[in-house]
Amino acid sequence: MVVKIRLARFGRTNAPFYNIVVAHARTARNSRPLEVIGTYDPIPRKDPYDTSGKLHKDIKLDTLRAQYWIGVGAQPTDTAWRLLSLVGILPPKYPRAGSQQAPSTTQSGTA
Amino acid sequence: MPPRIPGGGCRPQQLLTSLEAPTPSCTLPAPALALRPRQPPTASSSRPLSTTPRCSSKTESTKPPPQLTRVRRKFLDFLEHSSMLRKSKVLKEPTYLSNNVVTRSEGEVVQRDMPFPNNPYFRSQSVLSAVSRERVWSEVMEGGMPIKAVAAKYSVDVRRVTAVVRMMEIEKRWEREGKPLAYAYARSMGHLVPQHNVRAESKFEPINDLHVHSHTMQQLFVPTSESRHFTRADAARAFGEHILPPEARMRIPELVDMERKIAQGVPPPVAGAEFIAAARESEQEIAARNFERARSKEARTVRVQTDRFEFRFEKIDSEAVGPKGRSRTAVGWRYGVPLMDRRRAEVKIPTSMD
Repeated sequence: MVVKIRLARFGRTNAPFYNIVVAHARTARNSRPLEVIGTYDPIPRKDPYDTSGKLHKDIKLDTLRAQYWIGVGAQPTDTAWRLLSLVGILPPKYPRAGSQQAPSTTQSGTA
Repeated sequence: MPPRIPGGGCRPQQLLTSLEAPTPSCTLPAPALALRPRQPPTASSSRPLSTTPRCSSKTESTKPPPQLTRVRRKFLDFLEHSSMLRKSKVLKEPTYLSNNVVTRSEGEVVQRDMPFPNNPYFRSQSVLSAVSRERVWSEVMEGGMPIKAVAAKYSVDVRRVTAVVRMMEIEKRWEREGKPLAYAYARSMGHLVPQHNVRAESKFEPINDLHVHSHTMQQLFVPTSESRHFTRADAARAFGEHILPPEARMRIPELVDMERKIAQGVPPPVAGAEFIAAARESEQEIAARNFERARSKEARTVRVQTDRFEFRFEKIDSEAVGPKGRSRTAVGWRYGVPLMDRRRAEVKIPTSMD
């Protein structure tokens, strides 16, 4: 059976929250997966005490496990592919026509 | 749909007029609570039911009109002669009933902080005045005093001191930004509750109270040898591995050290200075710990800037779910366990401030 990397929707009505999971393709969306490799909070948030009004989204990801599952043939869904390509685990699936390069990535801890 | 009052929105004045009796001829015995000059009790006023004419309107109440009882008469007396109802030019303290009524009918003394004289359990707690809040903020932010030292100096809880500093910072930021602030509202709200002005000697509230952990409420018999030096730390450990001794649980343990030094003969000014230094050191430790926590989180985070949002990828360890996959510390929504966040009496507002 195909193993997929996909999102499992939890949270509440109008307040989604996703687990990034590795699961068999034919199992139900929220059933117990093979592994939870991260979470994705799709609601844009502001930093506390920040007046600039910039929004960010929080994602937690075990990059090593994601790379392992990609390496053994797990197939990410489009949404999961987009998230994984943001950190460079995968090439972008649908590169934007105007932009030639990937979005800028900063490792804030090393700076 | 709730019943609407004809003629647009529900305005209080309309509500009042619509609730009033339609015509003066229909008004039945004038309500006994109305303010009017007192008349000596006559035969007619003692039996208002039988002497007043009844009205056949549909708005008439079926309840009998209130009788002029002794309590009601005393209340009318109070309404007429009370100084509370007269407008005073300067409101310096809240106008509670207890400011006027000295004793209750049973002869018990009514304290000044009782808004309701018949309810001795309702006590109106005083709040820090605006001047006090300004002074607390100034000592912490301008004077650079440790928060624990300010709390000990004015006998205000550490948590309240931090809250005052936070709120004052917001207020001052809004003043700088030119936001309109509700000063008049704050002033009139301040007249409704007693105010406290901080001074170096006056106590506002107890500051070193210990939280009584429920594990320590049981009666416990621990056999020990007679020669053993059984300390408070040992007693705490007997109640549970995670129970701490009182000196580790109190908010300002440096105060105990200061008093101990004074008891040993150190002059109080010297002990006080050492207390301030110790408080400052402990707060710097906490700040350094918080800084280190934030720094290590930043080191685990990769920020990706896109057109619309910044995506923050934090690196985690998915093995933290444990061998059974049900660990509480694991990342993500848990499987196979109910989420009790909507259970009754569950605290949903944040209880701490980061």
